[in-house]
Amino acid sequence: MSVFLQQLINGLSIGSIYALMAVGYSLVYSILNFSNFAHGGVIMLGAYIGLYALHLLPMSFLGALVIAAFGAGLIAVVLEKVAYSPLRKRNAPSLYFIISAMGASIFLENLVIATIGPTFKTYPQIFNPIPFTFGSISVSRIDVLMFVIAAISLAILVFIIEKTKVGLAIRACSYSSRGSNLMGVNVNRIIFVIFLLGGMLAGIAGMLFGMKYTVYPQIGVITNKSFIAAVFGGLGSLPGAVVGSLLLGLIETLSSAYIASQYRDLIAFTLLIVVLVIRPSGIMGKITEDKA
Amino acid sequence: MKRKVSLFISIMMVLLLALTGCGGGSSGSGDAATDPIKIGWIGSLTGDQAPWGKCESQTVQMLIDETNAAGGILGRQLELVALDTKGDANEAVNAVKRLVSQDKVCAILGPNASAQALAITGVLESAGVSDIATVATNPKITVNDDGSVNEYNFRVCFTDPYQGAVAAGYAADILKYKKAAILYDVASDYSQGFMQYFIETFEAKGGTIVAKEAFKAGDTDFRPQLTKIKKADPEVILMPYYYKEVALSANQARDLGIKATLMGGDGWPSDTLFEMAGNSLEGSYVVNHFDYNDPDVKPLTEAYIAKYGTTPEINCYMVHDAYKVLLAAIEKAGNADPQAITDALTQVEVKGVTGTIKLGEKTHNPEGKEAAIQKIQLNPETGEFEYAFMQKYGAN
Repeated sequence: MSVFLQQLINGLSIGSIYALMAVGYSLVYSILNFSNFAHGGVIMLGAYIGLYALHLLPMSFLGALVIAAFGAGLIAVVLEKVAYSPLRKRNAPSLYFIISAMGASIFLENLVIATIGPTFKTYPQIFNPIPFTFGSISVSRIDVLMFVIAAISLAILVFIIEKTKVGLAIRACSYSSRGSNLMGVNVNRIIFVIFLLGGMLAGIAGMLFGMKYTVYPQIGVITNKSFIAAVFGGLGSLPGAVVGSLLLGLIETLSSAYIASQYRDLIAFTLLIVVLVIRPSGIMGKITEDKA
Repeated sequence: MKRKVSLFISIMMVLLLALTGCGGGSSGSGDAATDPIKIGWIGSLTGDQAPWGKCESQTVQMLIDETNAAGGILGRQLELVALDTKGDANEAVNAVKRLVSQDKVCAILGPNASAQALAITGVLESAGVSDIATVATNPKITVNDDGSVNEYNFRVCFTDPYQGAVAAGYAADILKYKKAAILYDVASDYSQGFMQYFIETFEAKGGTIVAKEAFKAGDTDFRPQLTKIKKADPEVILMPYYYKEVALSANQARDLGIKATLMGGDGWPSDTLFEMAGNSLEGSYVVNHFDYNDPDVKPLTEAYIAKYGTTPEINCYMVHDAYKVLLAAIEKAGNADPQAITDALTQVEVKGVTGTIKLGEKTHNPEGKEAAIQKIQLNPETGEFEYAFMQKYGAN
């Protein structure tokens, strides 16, 4: 039983990282109808910004986290201006956006390799490394912290979207950006907000990921999994991204624990394909026809 | 119609330019007795294994500069052509194709990993150019399953079976462990070969493998597997993979309360390892190619630090010995002909920094080298982790 509980905790901890990253994908998809593959690059840069904020400026963890969030938010906004905005003005099909996103992602990774270097960087020890233990179950402090910060950030995001005027506009745009435009919503401003919010979440995710594991230019690769989690939960749906991520984390962990670790990805992704075949819009996604 | 004609003419002009360009190029890289002798190097300058690749290419450059300053070889200067494989087997094949066709190198040093060294076998064979791998330990690089030797693949390091057998022998005979667990990288030839021979030797010596769990390179979380290993309660956990995953999995093992001794091979040593996982690795054992404190090794370490300002990785020493073997072979061949060099590689014996190296004719592996067993310890004076030399140990 204790092994099962430990595995559940392992799964949730992996899932909460996926969740922070997946929400960024969903936010952009809900408005622009394309998958922002440069999100991984922004997460990676967020991890580096957090690291250097801690090293260069004598500041607390929270200060560095705020800098990482705003730094990554700014990068995401700049990326939108450079890589997507020109395409939007020409009404380019979404395939072009995806290609541009992939290009931006490769650009960011190589920029970091060329300037900062390809080697691994480790965060300084900020928190007590000794894990909490309950009997034979152990939970590391950084996992608890990640879970809490992920929950708070997502709660703030949901608050912005559900309770504020900007949030109302975001929801309107996600239903129909053309219609919202006709009703006087400044869609360009909403897209700016979307990228800023998505980028800030990426910065937070990047810094937490870096603290937990390590920082290197290829961190962005892990966002492949979180992207898949977002699709699984329903691209465009924020609760879907969170649920999909936690489920993917749990499925991966439990299949590795109770079936065979070498078949983990095989089992997890077979299951995803089955879910998508039965329900193409994901667990909580809107049916595409209803949306546009 | 007019457009088609002009298109045709422009295509022809481009082709003509390309052809004349090639002609000029090939006459420039001829084999005249005064031209520099080109030596190729391939390895990871970007990607996960970049710290090793960078150190390796810098070392070769340093050694070539030294040779050139001393008058070169056969009265000719040496020139390095170093290409990045990005840690990828396909890129390695592309790099070797370029080295043999465009740069016309006489031989190639590197790469620093087995998968890339395995992938280039076919290109080497069709070009008739030899490669001396540095830390690529998979047995199939030089010897095929049917026992035949790959004519143009050589290496200066020991092999995975040897490493696995040494680790298992040391764990069973010297440390007296009876229960071992293994976490391995299912996508790595290195990890699989190492593991397979560890199991064979450990079981032959009366030990039991209580858990065997896999992950895939690129994974960052190993707790599901480690939770299962913890339940099996081993005395030692073999971690036959590279330092990034070693650091992450060792940290997570300690997080989960696993107290077992950790053990690994030549994929471990790296400066970043201690930075990432110092405390978690204290008391672990590493099967290494040589001992850093060996007096033979120190002058090279000092020369590298003087030139590049950082301590060298293990690849510095391995590529140094590969370079020495190659230089001796060029000298013996008396010219820079790739085939003559290939024939000479098994005919020379050099004293490298990692031991005396004589490549066997039937295996293309160095014969009679012993591994060095090192223990990771905290030095109370410096407050830093270091590799303490335990003993030389050979598999029998």
